[in-house]
Amino acid sequence: MPIGNAQPSVRPAQAGRTDGAVTIPSAHRGGRSRRAGGGSRAERLAPYVLVAPAILIIVLLRLYPLLLGVNFSFTGDGARNGTTVGLDNYLELFDDPLFRTALGNVGLLVLLLPVAVAIPGLLATFIYLRVPGHRIYRSVYFFPAVLSPVIVGAIFNLLLAFDGPLNAALGSVGIGSVDWLGDPDIAMFVVVGVHIWATFGMALVVFLAGFATLDSALLDAARVDGASLFQVIRHVIIPGLSRTIAFVFVTTMVGMLTSMFGLLYVMTSGGPEGSTYLPEYYIWIQQGQMNRPALASAASTALFVIMLVVGLLQVKLLRRAGRED
Amino acid sequence: MKQRAVWSAVLVLGLAMAGCGSAAGPGSSSGGSEGKLVVWDWKSGEPSAAPYIEKAKADFASKHPDVAVEFVAQPFDQYYTLLGAAIQSGKGPDVMLFNGGGQIRDRVDALVPLDDYLAEDKQRLAGWDAFTKDGKIYAGPVTLQGHPIYYNKTLYEKAGLDPESPATTWSEFLADCAAIAKAGAKCFALGNKEGVGIQFWLSALGSGILTAAEYDDWIAGKRDWNSPAVKRVFQLWKEAGDAGLNNDGANSTAMFNDAFALFQSGKAAHVIGLMSDVGHWKDFNEFLTADKLGVMSAPVVTAGTTPSLPYDGGIGYAVAKWTKDPKVAADLVRSLTSTDALKAFYADAGAIAADTTIDVSAGGPAAATIVAEIKGGKPALHVALSSKTLDLMGRLSQQLLSGSATVDEVVKQLAASDKAG
Repeated sequence: MPIGNAQPSVRPAQAGRTDGAVTIPSAHRGGRSRRAGGGSRAERLAPYVLVAPAILIIVLLRLYPLLLGVNFSFTGDGARNGTTVGLDNYLELFDDPLFRTALGNVGLLVLLLPVAVAIPGLLATFIYLRVPGHRIYRSVYFFPAVLSPVIVGAIFNLLLAFDGPLNAALGSVGIGSVDWLGDPDIAMFVVVGVHIWATFGMALVVFLAGFATLDSALLDAARVDGASLFQVIRHVIIPGLSRTIAFVFVTTMVGMLTSMFGLLYVMTSGGPEGSTYLPEYYIWIQQGQMNRPALASAASTALFVIMLVVGLLQVKLLRRAGRED
Repeated sequence: MKQRAVWSAVLVLGLAMAGCGSAAGPGSSSGGSEGKLVVWDWKSGEPSAAPYIEKAKADFASKHPDVAVEFVAQPFDQYYTLLGAAIQSGKGPDVMLFNGGGQIRDRVDALVPLDDYLAEDKQRLAGWDAFTKDGKIYAGPVTLQGHPIYYNKTLYEKAGLDPESPATTWSEFLADCAAIAKAGAKCFALGNKEGVGIQFWLSALGSGILTAAEYDDWIAGKRDWNSPAVKRVFQLWKEAGDAGLNNDGANSTAMFNDAFALFQSGKAAHVIGLMSDVGHWKDFNEFLTADKLGVMSAPVVTAGTTPSLPYDGGIGYAVAKWTKDPKVAADLVRSLTSTDALKAFYADAGAIAADTTIDVSAGGPAAATIVAEIKGGKPALHVALSSKTLDLMGRLSQQLLSGSATVDEVVKQLAASDKAG
């Protein structure tokens, strides 16, 4: 999934390039017609032969298994193994409160996306504006991005334990203990918060790269005109970085939807009360723990459709951002 | 030009072959050919299990010198996922390790009934029920798994209680808990993050709550979720949580192994633990010393009940349907459950072995108490439930602790799930 979705991000740039290259083939064609003869057929076939490996690999190792999986989701589990059951698995899926929670959490992730983008954006802005100590922050902020989700999860399990240091710190200033990972109303936000902490370093780097292309004369002009920090961000930085922001939106979304499994597994195991389930985790539980591979296939198909819709929206978003630029 | 096309075609073919080859790669370690048996488990990789595997291999080699045995240790958290894939493709190991109860019963379609092959071992080994479905045995038990209530004698002394005579009724137990609380410790170390705390609770206390007839009916599949005794199990769970008997934040504490760590470090006086693998007498002995670790029977809640030790076959080896010669594979299972091999398993890996003839006096008083109670023990209540119902029960138990569900709602949902499963 991530590879498939990340590709479109380079497409607008390519599209721009081919426009410029249109004239070259026509010049080439003149040359080729002169050489027309015995070799032309092989030459006509050559491009197809050359793209064949890529296409074969995609068809054999991606599309074909995908179709098998979709087909498998229409068969039964256990006693009905191998028999066609129509839409039974899908009906069961959408009847399962746990799967609905998982879908609801996907919605929550989408809603929290602006926060996940704003944090690295703001911090990158501060670094760009050279707040005191910005050199240290630049490396410190990136540090969590090199840790694996399992290690991050283990660290925060310790920090956020009911008798852990965070609650002890809260207690010392007179605030009661919070069961960070045991309260169904806050556990999901905690996990997302940790995920953002662990991954914002990458987005920060992308933002810093975006800032490198920003015309500093505009900033100086705004300052001379007496713009406040907020006004600088609102009227200079955001419009100047629209393309970078769109790119970070897309990559953060993909990251949130596809790589939260490790954190969830380590930090909450889908709990408490099933409140932190995501579709991936649901699929894993059904396949591995409940011995329901066909139901898991149906859930995978549902997740695939969701990702497809999200992916297409992202492509659209990127195209539009590219055009504005 | 032609040559170029030919080369491209060769390139394509080569790449396609390489692609296929790598896709088929991981399958090579599965599937037994003639003269070779492949065993899947999650134990053989551990150093503590090495003497056990050695003994079993030697025993098997003396019977079938011409058959090679390959042990493939899989990571436990992926084990049933990998096994599910193997079963789906109809190709995989000849012999495989299973947890008793739902994990093996859900997969008996892929297994060979072993009644005829293992008939001689029936008396010597215990724990067959967990590997039985519809009257047929599908695996030879290696260890027994159960849920003794361990207690910390040092904390009992500190609280002014007699460590040699723990409470026998629930009201006495609550009084003891109050004394322990005064001494600055919690009554129960409970981890319910994974939702397994309630399973241990149900099984460990069930024999003191359900009448003998109700207990046997439950195991036999005739479960009356509306009976007052069943409701009482969940009521007590909620009351214990509300009364602060458990450590704080039980819903975010992992049973494996944060809750056991709380018990080992003397922060809680009781823990419902295990007999084998982890969270058992051997682990606790190391921290609390063997003399200060006790095992108590479930306190009687319903007058007239006789508490018993809840236990089942813990892990056992089964034979796959697709193996070439089930007789040879079953002989390997017999070697893996031989007295010598199991003795090594008990001593080194810290498990109550399925072979009850093994002398465990070296394991300390707690292990001795457990083995003494095996004869009067009964299958654990939660093992009779499907994995789906257990999963639901885990989530509902968290709701009971947090107060977002009532006992009646919980029992109703569990009844519906139990009926459907």
